[in-house]
Amino acid sequence: MTLPTAPSRAWNAHGVTRLRREGAVAPVAAFLVFFIVYVIINPGLLTRFQLQSAANLVVPLALAALGQLIIVLVGGIDISIGAIMSLSNVVFALSMEHLPVPLAMLAGIGAGLACGLFNGFLVAYLRLPAIAVTLASAFIIGSITREIMDRPGGGITPAFYLATSGELLPYLPISIFWLAIVGVALWLVLQRSALGRHIYGVGSSADSVRAAGLNARGAQLAAFALSSVIVSFGAIMLAGSTITGDPRSGDSYLLSSIAAVALAGAAFTGGRGSILGTILAACTLGLVGSLLFFAGVNSYWQYVISALIVISVVGVPVIWRTTYLAIRRVRS
Amino acid sequence: MTTTTAIQTVDDTRTRVTNLARIVSRMPRSAWPLLVFVALFLIGGLIRPGLLSIDSLIGTATFAMILAIASFGQTAAVIQGGVDLSVPNTIAFSALTFLTLIGPLGPLGGLIGALLGGLAIGLMNGVIVAKLGLTPIVTTIAMNGLLFGVLLLTFKNSELTVIPHLLTQLTATKFSLFGVKIAAVLPLGLLLMIVLQLILSYTGWGRSLFLVGSAPEAAKLAGQPVDRIRIAGYALSSVIAAIAGIVLVGFYAQASATMGADYLLGSVAAVLVGGASIAGGRGSMVGTFGGALVLGQVATLVAVANLGSNIQQLIYGAIVLVVIALYSRRARD
Repeated sequence: MTLPTAPSRAWNAHGVTRLRREGAVAPVAAFLVFFIVYVIINPGLLTRFQLQSAANLVVPLALAALGQLIIVLVGGIDISIGAIMSLSNVVFALSMEHLPVPLAMLAGIGAGLACGLFNGFLVAYLRLPAIAVTLASAFIIGSITREIMDRPGGGITPAFYLATSGELLPYLPISIFWLAIVGVALWLVLQRSALGRHIYGVGSSADSVRAAGLNARGAQLAAFALSSVIVSFGAIMLAGSTITGDPRSGDSYLLSSIAAVALAGAAFTGGRGSILGTILAACTLGLVGSLLFFAGVNSYWQYVISALIVISVVGVPVIWRTTYLAIRRVRS
Repeated sequence: MTTTTAIQTVDDTRTRVTNLARIVSRMPRSAWPLLVFVALFLIGGLIRPGLLSIDSLIGTATFAMILAIASFGQTAAVIQGGVDLSVPNTIAFSALTFLTLIGPLGPLGGLIGALLGGLAIGLMNGVIVAKLGLTPIVTTIAMNGLLFGVLLLTFKNSELTVIPHLLTQLTATKFSLFGVKIAAVLPLGLLLMIVLQLILSYTGWGRSLFLVGSAPEAAKLAGQPVDRIRIAGYALSSVIAAIAGIVLVGFYAQASATMGADYLLGSVAAVLVGGASIAGGRGSMVGTFGGALVLGQVATLVAVANLGSNIQQLIYGAIVLVVIALYSRRARD
């Protein structure tokens, strides 16, 4: 069992090399092109109000996508991510009626964490397939959520809106600041801690991790726990920006989180995926709808365009490679 | 040497297995959900004797058949080693296409148009999965999103309620058999199930779906056109989902862009409870109908106990968990 050591040195050599290795060049490029097009079509994005509302739109999606990314890194997929988001959104909004903010946040994150540990235990220790487990828990968590709160409501205060969705400085939406904190913290955990390396390792080869005497199951459980905490944080940001708790608020994030992770170039077999790429992919997908609005196109096109972006990011390199090989074969 | 001792130990343990266990182990997987359904049906009778009637059985079976028709396509997709999360919007797309086309083209034209639409969706799913190598989940989720956009853009008034009489007759009309009123969708679904099961079990193409699902590498080494089989599997899945869309239109007498939403998780649940393996290579149409029956009977019991649809979802989730825990334990033995 000789684990390759050379790549790890190369990893730290250049940011670009690392991005390429993690498949993040395409989403970063896609985001830059998208951003330029956006600003050309709608220069108003760079006003304070629009920056703020765009950030509030994108940040919960980015956090949900980061949660999905962690599960994908260990070779799984989380179908229950929308349900976890709704649950912790609702628990948080309801706790705000009676509890001070920090306790309410703890309650919301605790509810999400419980779901993550439940999923993680079944996947890591009972070795059930992640897709089936999270499908079942999506039913269960969704049902519990609607038992707790069956229509939008809760006690979120305008002060909390300002703290999550207002402005930190002029032109700097505070939600971007919170997202950056989570992103950097997650980057430190994944890239600079033993646990993070184990999570990447389990995704690329669980057997090797086990053969090296490391706790592969523990790493899997930790990935589910970590993911659910980040998703819950996203749910709280969403509750803040909409000033309500809604038992259906997380529903749309199931599909869009998976789409963002796919666009980020992460490998769904596990072991490869970039945090920066995922955040930028979420920003791209999250803003497609409003770009179309400003371009005067029917915003229903956003569903079509998002799907085409995801498919072409994966498809174009494959088609390019096949034609390249075909041309070379013809020449030789 | 080691092989013979291994065989001997297997023989030894086998003789120790009791008769009952042998019968149980030889029972086909698709029989399990049917047995569970019978047990649940009897339990329902214990709770409320009125439930132990033919009418109640037919009612549950009709509900289950609707879910089963929507899940047969999913069964094909799961058997060949994937999953089809574009089932919901394929259903809606086919239903709305059908209703839009019957105006200019008549019922047959509508039917052909809807099925061709389903075929096109399935072929796209299959080509993207097999040729571009995008994972089935991502592909079909993207396709589901794409279809949602197409639905909203194409069908301006997304609620259509003019249903041709013939279709209503084929699905919702109740006829009397030995004094029992049966909705026409029940025999129609049974016929569909039998045809699909025969295709799966007795045609080379049907068997190749299982082969590709359980051992794609072996299939490739055996010279099977794996990509083409995969694509055909997704095509079958979407065509059946299109049929389900038309049946749903007839039965519920309405169509809307969100009519398929319940079948995203529902169809996968029915297929899993029906004994299919989410990893592929295992599953049957009869089993899926059994799975749908179990879920349908649970819905009936929940309704009788007055617990509400919320608790029903909770129980569905618990059932799926128990089922995958049981099956994966057996698979590892």
